Amino acid sequence: MPAVLRRIPAGMLSAVVALIVWQIIGSVGPLAGDSFATATEAISALWVLVREATFWLAFWETVQMAAIGFAISMVIAIPLGMLIGLSRFSYRSSKFTFDFLKVIPPIVLIPIAILVIGPTLAMGVALVVFANVFSMAIQTAYGVRDADPVLLETMRCFRMGLAKQIRYARLPSAAVQIGIGMRLALAASLVVAVVAGLVGGAGGLGTFLALTQSAGNADDTYAVILFLGAIGVALSRLLVRGHRRLVFWVGR
Amino acid sequence: MTTAIAINGVSMEYVTPEGTTHVLDNVSYEVSEGSFVAIVGPSGVGKTTLLRLLSGLQKPTAGEILIRGERISGPPAGLAVVLQDYTRSLMPWLTVERNIALPLKNQKLSKADRSERIESSLEEVGLSGQGGKYPWQMSGGMQQRASIARALAVRPSILVMDEPFASVDAQTRFDLEDLVLKVRDDFGITTLMVTHDIDEAVYLSDEIVVLHGRPAKVRDVVTVDIPFPRSQIQTRNAPRFAELRTHVYAMVRGLE
Repeated sequence: MPAVLRRIPAGMLSAVVALIVWQIIGSVGPLAGDSFATATEAISALWVLVREATFWLAFWETVQMAAIGFAISMVIAIPLGMLIGLSRFSYRSSKFTFDFLKVIPPIVLIPIAILVIGPTLAMGVALVVFANVFSMAIQTAYGVRDADPVLLETMRCFRMGLAKQIRYARLPSAAVQIGIGMRLALAASLVVAVVAGLVGGAGGLGTFLALTQSAGNADDTYAVILFLGAIGVALSRLLVRGHRRLVFWVGR
Repeated sequence: MTTAIAINGVSMEYVTPEGTTHVLDNVSYEVSEGSFVAIVGPSGVGKTTLLRLLSGLQKPTAGEILIRGERISGPPAGLAVVLQDYTRSLMPWLTVERNIALPLKNQKLSKADRSERIESSLEEVGLSGQGGKYPWQMSGGMQQRASIARALAVRPSILVMDEPFASVDAQTRFDLEDLVLKVRDDFGITTLMVTHDIDEAVYLSDEIVVLHGRPAKVRDVVTVDIPFPRSQIQTRNAPRFAELRTHVYAMVRGLE
């Protein structure tokens, strides 16, 4: 491999290749034409967009939906999951229903949500909560149940009661699963917040996308998609790092 | 000598969907105060079940266990445990110091007393000044030393160990054997240990309880009449050591 190439990080290399392929598809074919933006068109459109207040306002709305929805689902799901996980009976009996609810794509609830709440930010928040709360509760419950029985018995031998077992054994071992769940949930929150705007008119970048699309402005549409992708990658990197810090003992 | 632990006619049955498993049958034995007792027997005979009953994790289906004359109905005060799997019985999210401190919270100790206990326990097991490390930063032998320190810190009158040295290398194993003998000498703790290693049982014990059969009964109680202090080199070479280990081995294998 030539020395020039070796200095580029592996992740960047595939990104560059993807951009080149995108450029070729959009300019030479099979998707050449006005309805499809090339990589260079999308990037230069994004360059214009990031200097416009309306873009950032839309972004801020999406962030609000995602963040508030994420926070509410954590506040509900983590304590709920803890409670469910503490007894084998409640874990087994809730698992089926929660597994069922968690695979329902939030997008199918949009028609109902529009009727009940209306196409508002609140609806976006509600969808984000729905998207996360069941999988997060089950993930937490699983983490609580996952505590090592040898450790729990050791604690019983040393006469440490239920409260100490929760605080020092069940919570830390649940933290591993909670961290994984939060990572997935935050990524899902962003997606659902955009979809709520795109399909449900809840505002934010989703609605912004819907408008550029119906105006036939392909460059702006792809610029927003590119932007969302970049935000998603950055967020996921950040969360992986945070999770590693939180459960520093894992994999040692 | 006074009796520390009395096991009176203890039987244990597990009821499973596949049927009833009768593990222990009418086991009786008395442990004298301050003695070192090893429980040996073929694998799967019910040694660990007996320890679980002794540490109050389970109740026997028949019979009773008395500690200083009091019937136990849960993990008794003054009992500490060391298990085989130190990676699972120590908490990886706490430093060794905090692992040791945790069981001490049951005892009303001043902060100074508590840190004194932790430090002296670490010193006893040869881990002075290492309390700030996490268990996974230590070797297997050191982690098992830390488990022993945690047990010592509660100032137990009874120490229960389940295959404590089965997961460490041979060299470390000898060191740890001598460590528990020293601990017994220093604190006079009544010690019960389950082991599958007959040499180890002979080397450490005052008495060896041999369990045998299905369900298991006490096959024999062997008094180890080798004087203390024992040494890894001399004791293990003594003719009496060889006689005892052959005798116990034959019983465990059902040859005698």
